[in-house]
Amino acid sequence: MSDVLLFKDIDEPGLDTLAVYEARGGYASLRKALEMTPAQVLEQLEASGLRGRGGAGFQMGKKVSFLPQGSMDKYLVCNADESEPGTFKDRELMQKTPHTLIEGIVIASYAAGAQRSFIYIRGEYVLQADVLDAALAEAREAGYVGEAILGSDHSLSLVVHRGAGAYICGEETGLLDSLEGKRGNPRLKPPFPANQGLYQGPTLINNVETLSTVPAIIAMGGEQYAEIGVQTSTGTKLVSISGHVQRPGNYEIELGIPSREIIYGLAGGPPEGHEIKCWFPGGSSAPVLTPADLDVPYDFDSLAKAGSMLGSGAIIVVDDSTPIVDLALKVAKFYRHESCGKCTPCREGTNWTVKMLERIDSGEATPMDLDIMASVQDHIIGNCLCVLGDAMAMPIGSMIAKFREEFEAHIEAARARAELGLAGVAGTGGVHDPERMQHPGVAYESAQALGEELR
Amino acid sequence: MPRPEPRTISFTIDGREVQAPENTMLVDAAKHGDVEIPVFCYEPKLGNPVGACRMCLVEIEGIGKLQTGCSTPVKDGMVVHTQTERVKEAQRSVVEFLLINHPLDCPVCDKGGECPLQDISFGWGGGISRFIEPKRHFVKPLELSPKIAIDRERCILCYRCVRFSQEIAEDYQLVLLERGAHSFVSTFDGHPYVAPFSGNIIELCPVGALTSRSYRFRARPWDIEDAGTVCTLCPAQCNVKLTVRDERVLRVLSREHSEVDDGWLCDHGRFAYPALAEGVQRASENGGGPSVHVGMRVSQPLLRDGGELRPVSWERALQEAGVALQRAGAKTAALAGGGTTNEEGLLLGRLMREGLGSPHVDSRVAGSLELELLQTLSDPRLQAKVSDLEFAHAVLLLDCEPLTDAPILDLRLRKGVRRHGMRLERCSGEQLGQLRELAGRLVEEAGEELVILWGERFAAGPEGAERVRALLELADELSLADVDGAGLLEIPATANGRGLRESGVLPNAAPGLRPAEAGDGRDARAIAAGLADGELNALYLLQADPLDPLDPFATSADASAWGAALERASTVVAHATLLTQGLHEHANVIFPGESYAEKEGTVTHPDGRLQRVRQAVARPGSTRPGWQVIAELGDRVGFDAGVRNEHAASQLLFDAVPFYGGLTLEQIGGRGVRWQERPRSSTSDSEQGDDAGHEESSKRSAPDPERFSGAEVEQHGSGGAPDPDPAATAEQAAAEATTVTDTPAEGRGTGDAGESG
Amino acid sequence: MTPVPRLGNAPHADGWDRPADLEKDPALIPDPATTPVPQELRETIEQLMARYPERHSAAIPALHAAQELHSWCSPEAIEQVACVMEVTPAYLDSVASFYDMLEQQPVGRHSVYVCTNISCSLRGADALLEAVEQAAGEDPEFNVRAFECLGACDIAPMASVDGVYVGPLELADVPQLLDDARAGRAVLPHKQLATRLVADPHANSQEFAPHAPEEGRR
Repeated sequence: MSDVLLFKDIDEPGLDTLAVYEARGGYASLRKALEMTPAQVLEQLEASGLRGRGGAGFQMGKKVSFLPQGSMDKYLVCNADESEPGTFKDRELMQKTPHTLIEGIVIASYAAGAQRSFIYIRGEYVLQADVLDAALAEAREAGYVGEAILGSDHSLSLVVHRGAGAYICGEETGLLDSLEGKRGNPRLKPPFPANQGLYQGPTLINNVETLSTVPAIIAMGGEQYAEIGVQTSTGTKLVSISGHVQRPGNYEIELGIPSREIIYGLAGGPPEGHEIKCWFPGGSSAPVLTPADLDVPYDFDSLAKAGSMLGSGAIIVVDDSTPIVDLALKVAKFYRHESCGKCTPCREGTNWTVKMLERIDSGEATPMDLDIMASVQDHIIGNCLCVLGDAMAMPIGSMIAKFREEFEAHIEAARARAELGLAGVAGTGGVHDPERMQHPGVAYESAQALGEELR
Repeated sequence: MPRPEPRTISFTIDGREVQAPENTMLVDAAKHGDVEIPVFCYEPKLGNPVGACRMCLVEIEGIGKLQTGCSTPVKDGMVVHTQTERVKEAQRSVVEFLLINHPLDCPVCDKGGECPLQDISFGWGGGISRFIEPKRHFVKPLELSPKIAIDRERCILCYRCVRFSQEIAEDYQLVLLERGAHSFVSTFDGHPYVAPFSGNIIELCPVGALTSRSYRFRARPWDIEDAGTVCTLCPAQCNVKLTVRDERVLRVLSREHSEVDDGWLCDHGRFAYPALAEGVQRASENGGGPSVHVGMRVSQPLLRDGGELRPVSWERALQEAGVALQRAGAKTAALAGGGTTNEEGLLLGRLMREGLGSPHVDSRVAGSLELELLQTLSDPRLQAKVSDLEFAHAVLLLDCEPLTDAPILDLRLRKGVRRHGMRLERCSGEQLGQLRELAGRLVEEAGEELVILWGERFAAGPEGAERVRALLELADELSLADVDGAGLLEIPATANGRGLRESGVLPNAAPGLRPAEAGDGRDARAIAAGLADGELNALYLLQADPLDPLDPFATSADASAWGAALERASTVVAHATLLTQGLHEHANVIFPGESYAEKEGTVTHPDGRLQRVRQAVARPGSTRPGWQVIAELGDRVGFDAGVRNEHAASQLLFDAVPFYGGLTLEQIGGRGVRWQERPRSSTSDSEQGDDAGHEESSKRSAPDPERFSGAEVEQHGSGGAPDPDPAATAEQAAAEATTVTDTPAEGRGTGDAGESG
Repeated sequence: MTPVPRLGNAPHADGWDRPADLEKDPALIPDPATTPVPQELRETIEQLMARYPERHSAAIPALHAAQELHSWCSPEAIEQVACVMEVTPAYLDSVASFYDMLEQQPVGRHSVYVCTNISCSLRGADALLEAVEQAAGEDPEFNVRAFECLGACDIAPMASVDGVYVGPLELADVPQLLDDARAGRAVLPHKQLATRLVADPHANSQEFAPHAPEEGRR
């Protein structure tokens, strides 16, 4: 791997300080950008083909260009509410190289004509917010943030705003409401934030990784950046890989490499003696893929073609020791907990799905419930105010579709257990079993065996 | 500020081409094609759509996902489907989702039968539920406030009530707590939701989650009838719909009128009715005290006998009152307030002037103003209307507190500020210099459309006339009369203050704000003084009690002055709905008065809108209509008003007030008519009266361009004599409705009556 | 009020059964004259409000500050913030109850958020949570909670102890974890996220020594 952009020098001691960052060439891109016109900077961003790293994968340059021209108050908001299960790449960037993000924000705000900016960081990231605050103080002191930056006519205020624990604030309009001091309910779109965002003003919202990539693009030039990766997915991408792999962590990859290379090559694959059952290619909101999909190139379009999505670039690997019902229940409970409650299908649909899965697990379901559950997912998808409902319905729907036999076996085994008074052994009951920690598959396998016996 | 003037576009819905105003939301545009798209959270009164309930999903050609009809503005050429299988499935699924946690306790639910959730489940639901898990259960109902009960099981989290609290009333007391499926509507830490407009959330609730504690279980929708009328508890004159069961008003709902109340009611208007109908204190609550007591509803004539008020027959009461008033003659004075109708006011004025020869009649609390000032203030071009309070560039509150003076206007002003960025400032009449400076600054900074909303008390006291003159000068300087959407709007002290002035309940004016023939009488303050020093002997109180601190007339003179006045008066005749303290102590004769729900007649809104008060329930006890009582009293003192029914009373009014001339009750209808906006085209447009006599009569009652002071008016309109032939009523009125308005218009008022707003 | 019998998995949230107390006054914007606010808190909130073009934006940070002081978003805490921010307490209550980190009930001084989301639970987080709960027992010092994804799946199973991320945790780490927190020491220094290098072999990380751990918070 030749292109290490974001992780260059990432663990150098003191990289979070201005001195080291500058010594490594930090803020040179900002100087370069300020010598260009905002339009020229925007050109570079558009030429880079950089797609948003937060989940939706929208072209960043285009997003900037959607902001209206004019002298009204414009805002730039950095989405650092990294809450998608399995995702922890922004955390690494903010903690270790906060100045890269700050530099990216200043450059992007210059291109967008924004004079006020905010980093909305999830409240749980205490260390990272502290690091950002310290770095921001240094950057301000050095004149990289504030009035007339480096003698140019660009001014920018920047505030690190800490959230308080709500996944939905990662949704851009939920984030805006939260930043305005309200409940983090997503807004109806249109109007889109580019026209009416924060405080009703035009607002550019970008993910930490996206903004952190900006200095590299300015340094190397947009066109050159676009040569990395594949045509519709340019550049490098941080991938957070976790779950049943031997070396979980963040890896910077060139977009378009085979997924297998990441899961097996970088992360070492599942623990010995286990096979991959399924994997989420882009956080828990992405429909699951199976081992058959391991050779799909890891980029936006290839994953979409495979029926899933790159999302936030978080791969969660699940091996054969985990019952699919347990996984589904985890996913569903998470989304139920995080649903803001504003729109009906999401609020009620996540709740209903959890209840059905619990019933499956406690031996009170029949295979007919699977049909109902699948249809409930269909009724959620596309009918909600924001994408949170879909974010549950798509993976759950994909699990039912791809693992229907296992669901049915689970139903049967759980019923058998329940009839024998052994409820709690199967499924989630087993997760709480300390034994399970060492031998995660045992409870499930025994229940499955019993189910087969009874059959 | 420009009012929206949408152009009409055409779009296709369910295969039919339909015309609708551009940019209206699809759910509203669909109605133009008789297509109903179901909604729960959508309520345009609450501001921008939130798209939360997802009930209104429709298919729009060219857009992949289903769209919410409540938030999608209709565009020219749009092709919309509401009946495809895809749409139907989505709608069925939303109903299914909503009913997951709804208890379906419709048989015992107060909303049953008038419940949008029921209707939509029936109309758009799948008819079955696949949800077999346990439903959530809470304690229910719970108190949310002294007036409202909340049933959280039934709540479908449509956000309407919290949006009302947060975005309309802006009291921000009612909120959603928790998140997701745990969300619930609540207040902070168990505090009750007490606010001036809280009751509106009951009406907004599309399920049985918020119910009126006073109405709960009092009736089923099939037990009740609706009766539309106008609330006359304050000058706002909100349009209401009364829920009537067995001749009792059980509930007051809004009868939305965008030019009056915008579809809201204040809690006083919504919840005060039972007290008005039954008295604020019933005999049973009176601790076994006397059956005639303060706070009771007066439902039969009362006569003071041996120091105590006792029920008597009408004959006896009328006899006693008639004799006493005739004895006092020109030394009688009269005040009219409360919900007195224009007809009652007109008859009272004539009874006083023509029957008793007394000009001492007043409906103003602030004291009399020179007639010329009153006339200038009534100039249609200077008259702002209610919706101007929303769209003006700025509103200046001058000695006026909307929340207490006319509560519903408070919401309108908030709307203007919130939605249109209207500037709102306050000023006191004490500082005229400041007023001038502030108004000038507002026009300069915000824009030329300035509305000055002023309270009657601005004109009170010795400097009253001076202040009004200054106000008019200011209006002139700022050309408020020439700017569309700018002007003055006065909130009178009493509910029908404007109507009473226009129907002649003023010491210095005949009906129609014309000069009083017999010279000027005393205003309220002078009446108090006159009674106290014996220059006046008798007082007729029509829905007024100057000793009741809640009555606006209490401020017309010192309490001690009124105390002395009523003490000294040899006769006090009152016409009252509730027995108030002053009447209990001083009245000699009390006639039972109708509440507004029992009454027939017209009132005039502060912006000149004539509105009909309609009888919804029977009058209690032996109560007689107000106009009839005054007419009968007239008989006793030798004055025949010639009125035999309530329609004749209205006809008398329309004939007496030049600028009401030619109106009919039918024209006023349920929405009212602003007299300033009545069409006035020139004679040449034909439809001229066909005979000379008719023309003559039409001239008499025509809204003269010089409206109040034309010689012609003075000459012909003297006393606004009633039509000699009462039988000629309806037909002639209808004829006049056209001919009258065709009177030649001369001078400055030409054809501009409608432009004042 | 009679409690409503509840079925097994029927949901329930605090507050659902609570009526309004009709004896109370409506909760309007608190009057500064009758709502004492600690000076330090007032100043903090005023500074926070000054950071934003619109003062409401300070709601969450202000509630955080009040929670620091009161240990949870008590009605008193909310009233104090409402008083300084000039908003109704209901507004803030609505905001506070939306977010997981703003506590609605009195809780212990030391928070232990155990991540039980997918990646952590695949690696035994549910057992870990149980072990922490058991070890903390009834100790009022601790606020042990299951938490949704904390964004540290690389150290699964993990926990955030007073804001310090530690992992991967084994059941055997639990006693020391609690002891460290109780003593205000750096929690499990060798297992802190702060000390970890990036896993990517292509980054130059591996040349460097591990970073220093964080001090204990609180």
